[in-house]
Amino acid sequence: MHEYAFFLGCIAPNRYPGCEASSIKTSEKVGIKLLPLEGASCCPAPGAFGSIDLTVWYAMAARNLVLAEQMKKDIALICNGCYKSIWEVNHILKHNDELRSQVNEVLKEIDMEYKGTIDVFHLAELYYDPKICGIQKIRDSVTTPMTGAKVACHYGCHLMKPQKDRHFGDTENPMWFEELVAAVGAEPVQYRNKMQCCGAGGGVRGYDIVHALDITNEKLINISEVGADAITELCPFCQLQFDRGQIEIKEKFGDVYNIPVLHFNELLGLAQGMSPQDLALDLHAVDCTPFLQKVL
Amino acid sequence: MAAKSYDNPELNKKLADQRYHISQSNPQFTKDVIKTSRTIANMCYQCGTCTGSCPSAPRSTYRIRLFMRRNVLGLENEALTDPDLWLCTTCYSCTDRCPRDIAPTDVIMAMRNLAFKKDIVPRNFLQTVQLIYNSGHGVPNNDVNRAARKRLGLTADPPTTHMYPEYIKGIQKILDHFGLKENADRIIKGE
Repeated sequence: MHEYAFFLGCIAPNRYPGCEASSIKTSEKVGIKLLPLEGASCCPAPGAFGSIDLTVWYAMAARNLVLAEQMKKDIALICNGCYKSIWEVNHILKHNDELRSQVNEVLKEIDMEYKGTIDVFHLAELYYDPKICGIQKIRDSVTTPMTGAKVACHYGCHLMKPQKDRHFGDTENPMWFEELVAAVGAEPVQYRNKMQCCGAGGGVRGYDIVHALDITNEKLINISEVGADAITELCPFCQLQFDRGQIEIKEKFGDVYNIPVLHFNELLGLAQGMSPQDLALDLHAVDCTPFLQKVL
Repeated sequence: MAAKSYDNPELNKKLADQRYHISQSNPQFTKDVIKTSRTIANMCYQCGTCTGSCPSAPRSTYRIRLFMRRNVLGLENEALTDPDLWLCTTCYSCTDRCPRDIAPTDVIMAMRNLAFKKDIVPRNFLQTVQLIYNSGHGVPNNDVNRAARKRLGLTADPPTTHMYPEYIKGIQKILDHFGLKENADRIIKGE
């Protein structure tokens, strides 16, 4: 069993608890144990918070990192935004001594010290990594294959970009997420401009919601064009933007899509036999019933 | 494309004037942007790949290339007072495609940081600071969600600062060290 400190973030535990519940249960079936990271806070949001003061952003993210260092566990998380904050600050502080001593000066006030002893992973990359889990193990864990469902993959931005700092390779047309989706028995579909942003990031959702929704709308047009039965993503904030966004788009632009939006862990949960009730799919703004009738 | 028009007549005039006035240029601004963004922003040769990659560009007057130019020319006021500065979704498409290996996204982040130092910042960014100061979360828990969490066999509050509020004090100390909450309160109050 590989053990990780589970960094929750905000939107997964506080808006889509099904993401949290499914992550804990699905990962256990493939040999990954997620332990609670007690006292963690917001990552803090790279766009909304980092835009104001990056220096404070480094210090706040470092505090979360120190909590995991004290547990002597690497961090696993399920949100691209959190990945940007937690992974990137860890990466920067490990390689920038000046910044590290600045941050440690602040952390000293709360009796903490950043040492740079742990690594940070997105749960999806652990699923994909054959040394930890791998596609075959995911396939073997499936009891209810999502046969017949066309699923559109949304990678999101902050997991893989900027490419030169990360280790995921190509960001123009990656295919590893599709492999994971195929492993749960669904049919991953390709659509135009797959790597486009959901529109919510950088504080734009709060600053100019119509602008953010217009970007989302473009993605939804491209996704509906290929007849996708559902969207799956790796980031609860993208999920919020696609899910609640569809209701807001209906109100503001009059366009109706009704495409259910599931976090990959929720999809994997369904495939491993968790019921829709176990995933609190009723909290989703877009009704998931048509998709569930197709696959269950 | 329709001409850009904002409520501020002075800004409208400035944006309509395409000439470069040396008196408006602040060389220190360029240096500050480079320092905060940690990218070689002065190497931009204005190819426009960034704007071509930008999901915000087709639906607004936001042009990332323009901000890159403003940085090179040191046009501090023009860059920091333009409301388009806040339309970047930080998707990093421009950064991945920049042939000069610059990170335009980080240039925008640096400019936003510098704008905040001059009290230029949209309200929603400040509210995030206030929420984190009070609860540790930018998106805090609520009663509907607590009920749902219990239904799933989770604790009503997640094992974060919500379940262990004793950790909030440390967060407040960090934010107070930089005077961030104080500044956010002051700017919101002054509006």
